[in-house]
Amino acid sequence: MPPLDRTPQQNRPFKQRKSFATRKQEVAGIRSKFPNKIPVIIERYEKEKYLPPLDKTKFLVPHELTMTQFVTIIRNRMALLPSQAFYLLINNSGLASMSLTMAQVYKDHQDEDGFLYMTYASQEMFGH
Amino acid sequence: MNSVSPSAAQYVGLVMQDEQVESWRQPALERQGSFGFRAPQVSDASREAAREPDEMDKVKAKLMSAWNNVKYGWTIKTKTSFNKISPVTVLGHSYLLNSEDEVERFRRDFVSRIWLTYRREFSPLEGSTWTTDCGWGCMLRSGQMLLAQGLVVHLMPRDWAWPDAQQLTDVDFEVFRPRSPVRAGGVPIPSFGSLRGSGSPEKLPASGQAPRYCQRRRPESAKDRQAEPIHSKLITWFGDQPSAPFGVHQLVEIGKSSGKKAGDWYGPSIVAHILRKAVAKTSVAQTLAVYVAQDCTVYKEDVVRLCDLSLSQRPADPSNQAWKSVIILVPVRLGGEALNPSYIECVKNILKLDCCIGVIGGKPKHSLYFIGFQDEQLLYLDPHFCQPVVDVAQADFSLESFHCSSPKKMPFSRMDPSCTIGFYAKNKKDFESLCSAVSMALSSSKEKYPIFTFVEGQGQDYGLEGHSSNHGGPLAHILPPGPLSRSNNRRSSEEFVFL
Repeated sequence: MPPLDRTPQQNRPFKQRKSFATRKQEVAGIRSKFPNKIPVIIERYEKEKYLPPLDKTKFLVPHELTMTQFVTIIRNRMALLPSQAFYLLINNSGLASMSLTMAQVYKDHQDEDGFLYMTYASQEMFGH
Repeated sequence: MNSVSPSAAQYVGLVMQDEQVESWRQPALERQGSFGFRAPQVSDASREAAREPDEMDKVKAKLMSAWNNVKYGWTIKTKTSFNKISPVTVLGHSYLLNSEDEVERFRRDFVSRIWLTYRREFSPLEGSTWTTDCGWGCMLRSGQMLLAQGLVVHLMPRDWAWPDAQQLTDVDFEVFRPRSPVRAGGVPIPSFGSLRGSGSPEKLPASGQAPRYCQRRRPESAKDRQAEPIHSKLITWFGDQPSAPFGVHQLVEIGKSSGKKAGDWYGPSIVAHILRKAVAKTSVAQTLAVYVAQDCTVYKEDVVRLCDLSLSQRPADPSNQAWKSVIILVPVRLGGEALNPSYIECVKNILKLDCCIGVIGGKPKHSLYFIGFQDEQLLYLDPHFCQPVVDVAQADFSLESFHCSSPKKMPFSRMDPSCTIGFYAKNKKDFESLCSAVSMALSSSKEKYPIFTFVEGQGQDYGLEGHSSNHGGPLAHILPPGPLSRSNNRRSSEEFVFL
């Protein structure tokens, strides 16, 4: 994956880059075009040191996709080995069960703006 | 908090650097003699030179380990308090410390756990000049302790306790405080200064002060005594020498395939995989397998395939059990920056389970092996005590430095979210009950979803097979840029990826 020339603007979290109204509008637009897809924002945990940045932030995901399948897709995009630690945290705090479908996760955790926010992180290292 | 003044830290940094440089030089010189890489004739002068840095190294290693031990509170000891109202849980056993009997049972349980710490002055780790893991290897040590606990339940009698378990030090039991005026003077339990590493066992003083409860013996202690040779054997597997199957030399070697090397920091997930490979590789634990969950999922069929020997193609060996015992390791991340507090209850419930062999994780950057809790505090074994190496090849080597007599606690709120949870199942029936007991403990989380799940089937059944047509070649479609996109660069990350 080629390293992105990231401007400071793009390093800021999606929520900070765009106003609530813009985000809400964006969801409404995409949902009307693709009612069978869920708009998901995936961002790298701000202190992540080991996983590469993802080239894309916004995903449109089918309802019936399971978390396992979703994680596998993201893992593949980053070309991670199966044994490499990779976690998707919903709203930067909780883990989602892998057997859930995206529709279930969306129902429980969608943001007020209509996006589902996820952060990816590996594990911390210990040494002191 | 262990606060370190910047100047002190700098000093330690310098010492470490120097040591690395010099110990890099020193084995090179040693090699000349032992392997004849260069001319075997070494002048007296260079022999002197070889000896000198060696001495210097030792002094510096000692300084560094002494500093480490000050830094992590092993020299200036603070007492750990245990109240008598809330039970203390240690790996599935609960003790309400409101009587001497219970304190005694707790002591035996705690001190019997195998404690593996930083060591110094072992033979250099292959491909490096490190002769200590002080300052970097704590996660490997925590991993070793987790595996050691798995091996204890695998090989030792049920509820085994070390018959020679030391007395507890640096503890304060509430139960002893108000009652006894003799002990009211701030010494609730005899606290012996640290004799660790000096080789002399911490025995009770002959004075009449020795509390009665220490002398009590359980009826099973004969059985425990008989298991002592296994206990010693088990510890030799963790010895700091290249031949030990679970020693730091071996673990570092295995870690190389995950891109790690001596001196690196390790994480709980990497260590789980290193342990899995170490157990698979050795002949000493053939009746045991290690399964590491991926993506917070334990695929039961994968565990069965790992354990059920009748499924494997190997020729049937009558001496083999039909089912391997299994250690199940689940690497997780219980939050982003800090531990998500809604998982605390769940971690407690897990530590209450009989099948739980502990959790390796720590405070941020500082690895610990969690074995229990009381109230809102985790009980742990701390690998950050740098001890001189023990030659476990010697018959009757001392077991003392492999057991800890000072229990320590820390608040759940300081727990780093990255950890690996360990379980053990002796046989198929155990595994079935493990699945249901753990699932039950997991469902207690205040968080809507459990930390991890057990599912039927194999990992590959749940992968992308069903979706491969959509994602095979052109992995995903990208929607045409919307009106919002402006610059090229901007646009590329602003598009929706269509899955």
